[in-house]
Amino acid sequence: MSLWLEKAIARANSTSDWLSPIREASLTALKETSWPTRKTEAWKYTSLKSVERASLSTGDLSEQETPEEIAGFESLNLIFRNGKFDTEGMQQALPEGLSITYLSSASDALKQASLNEVSQIKPERHLFGLVNDVLVEDVIRIEVAESVSISQPIRITSLIGLNSESHTRVYVKLNKASSLTVSEHYQGNAESLNTGFVEYEICAEAKLEHYRFALQTDKAISIGGCHFKLGERADLNSTLVGFGSDLSRVDTDIIYDGEFANAKLNAFYLLDGKELFDLHATVEHAVPNCTTLENVRGIVADHAKAVFNGRIHIHRDAQKTLAELNNRNLLLSDKAEINTKPELEIYADDVRCAHGATVAEIDKHALYYLESRGISRSKAQVMLNFGFINELIDQMPNQVLAEWIRPQIRDRFAKMEVTR
Amino acid sequence: MSNTTSSTENSMLKITDLHASVEEKNILKGLNLDVKPGEVHAIMGPNGAGKSTTGYVLSGREGYTVEQGSALLDGVEILDLEAEDRARAGLFLAFQYPVEIPGVSNLEFLKSSVDAQREARGEEAYTSAEFLKVAKEACKQVNLPLAFLKRGVNEGFSGGEKKRNELMQMILLKPKLCILDETDSGLDIDAMQVVANGVNSQRSPDRSFIIVTHYQRLLDYIKPDFVHVLSDGKIVKSGDASLAKELEAEGYSWIHNEPADELEGDLL
Repeated sequence: MSLWLEKAIARANSTSDWLSPIREASLTALKETSWPTRKTEAWKYTSLKSVERASLSTGDLSEQETPEEIAGFESLNLIFRNGKFDTEGMQQALPEGLSITYLSSASDALKQASLNEVSQIKPERHLFGLVNDVLVEDVIRIEVAESVSISQPIRITSLIGLNSESHTRVYVKLNKASSLTVSEHYQGNAESLNTGFVEYEICAEAKLEHYRFALQTDKAISIGGCHFKLGERADLNSTLVGFGSDLSRVDTDIIYDGEFANAKLNAFYLLDGKELFDLHATVEHAVPNCTTLENVRGIVADHAKAVFNGRIHIHRDAQKTLAELNNRNLLLSDKAEINTKPELEIYADDVRCAHGATVAEIDKHALYYLESRGISRSKAQVMLNFGFINELIDQMPNQVLAEWIRPQIRDRFAKMEVTR
Repeated sequence: MSNTTSSTENSMLKITDLHASVEEKNILKGLNLDVKPGEVHAIMGPNGAGKSTTGYVLSGREGYTVEQGSALLDGVEILDLEAEDRARAGLFLAFQYPVEIPGVSNLEFLKSSVDAQREARGEEAYTSAEFLKVAKEACKQVNLPLAFLKRGVNEGFSGGEKKRNELMQMILLKPKLCILDETDSGLDIDAMQVVANGVNSQRSPDRSFIIVTHYQRLLDYIKPDFVHVLSDGKIVKSGDASLAKELEAEGYSWIHNEPADELEGDLL
């Protein structure tokens, strides 16, 4: 086990508060879990050496450090600084039907109720989910009342300073027939470690539009997850954007708890230099008649490495399931690496499933079409490569976020060299 | 008839003894064609005669190998050029099956195409605002809603919309020679009329057209100056617009019964 984790556990042991029951349970589970090696399936391609080496303290984060401005994005802002919730953010007037609570300052009744909800959606198998359970200082609870549609999006930003560690936790509950948009933002490039987990309970007929921008780069280690539980006829539309760093890993879990629910997950990553991005996406079709559409794309340049594991598990009773999983990757250099593994486990007999993972080649027919209009081959290649990702940006339901991220993707892409 | 002249001086396109193959299969076996500025030539023929291949070979599609022969576009040998440079030299192929390219917006595609042409002519690229105006105008001309500029190239367009998008590119690129590859395929009469009107509006004394088609009906709307029958990689018969009518009535089979060499000699 890493020295960092041993120290952290020692620290956690001495903390006692309302979260103690969760902390103690996860601590027990953590002690029974062996530290991953290359032989551990979930970490086969992603080395934890950088975590083992990390020398972290309670680092500094300038008060002036603020989330990046997103022009035209009129969001309610929740900000974490080195894992501590910026309570200034709580001063905002909230729309009717929306509550945001810093649970340590909540009523005993709500604390007690939350103990039965927090950590129930996130599966126990996630090592760093357990780490987060043990180290997190508090939980933010967001709740939308029944049948309320909140039009103003909620933006959650996690800021982290040099040599810092940050552990954040949010629990979001969309009651029956409500709707909400949540955008999670992780940024920073300083040597640091961040674990950020968000659990979403989407009750019957509720609708969540979700974004996670995992944009840490360089030395910023980030390991986190988003976990969704969908009730009957619930709807999830999620977009995940990843830049790579020394270690950037996201685990997503979609669990169907009621019939006729739908989830669409689009994810894309652009990796350069020696960056690594690892996405483990798991879908549990435990009930019949649900639909999953997963579209994951990546562009990997230089010595960068992408890891994708997409598991769809269709339980015996989950008849009439429709599930599609597609992972396509464009390698721009011979030294770039992609490890992709779609896993389809089907125990029901009346389902429609498709999965595929490819290292995409540029479409020669499209290339010829562009060239036949006078566009140079090099320019046509750039247009097609960018278009490969841009197609998913086009599908983002929120136009403001799409127009905010598009130029960043374009810039990042423009810096990538094609060497194969 | 102008095709009888052997001068290349005032030809828009002069193809001489063109042999070409695809995957080592000979498709074109000595094609000759002379198109003067402002003329409209129709190339008809049975399936597999090499009609589409002619368009692909001229536009420089990968995998289409020229074995011998030449093709001069306005006096410039184009068979040695890359596809992009042929387009810059003024050649335009309207595709039978325009390619869908999600993620690349139609507007960006059109602007990049037009910028390439302008660069070739030594003109400045349009600014985005200037081009948007030009593109909107072209959109109106072909009766496509402006929303089609924002969508991915041909993404989810109907058959007719794709052909109108090809036409819009033709209008914007102002080519010297347009090759329309089975532009009528998959179109109903109304859609065909829209496309034909668009093509007719682009006819001018310094622009030539080659209309590749299997059926005569498109030629009711776009009147050709010459009609050629392509069979087994060669032109086996040439005539005026009335030849298309004859073919429609008789089918292609009667062509094969005539001595082809003599007819072809007529073209040289």
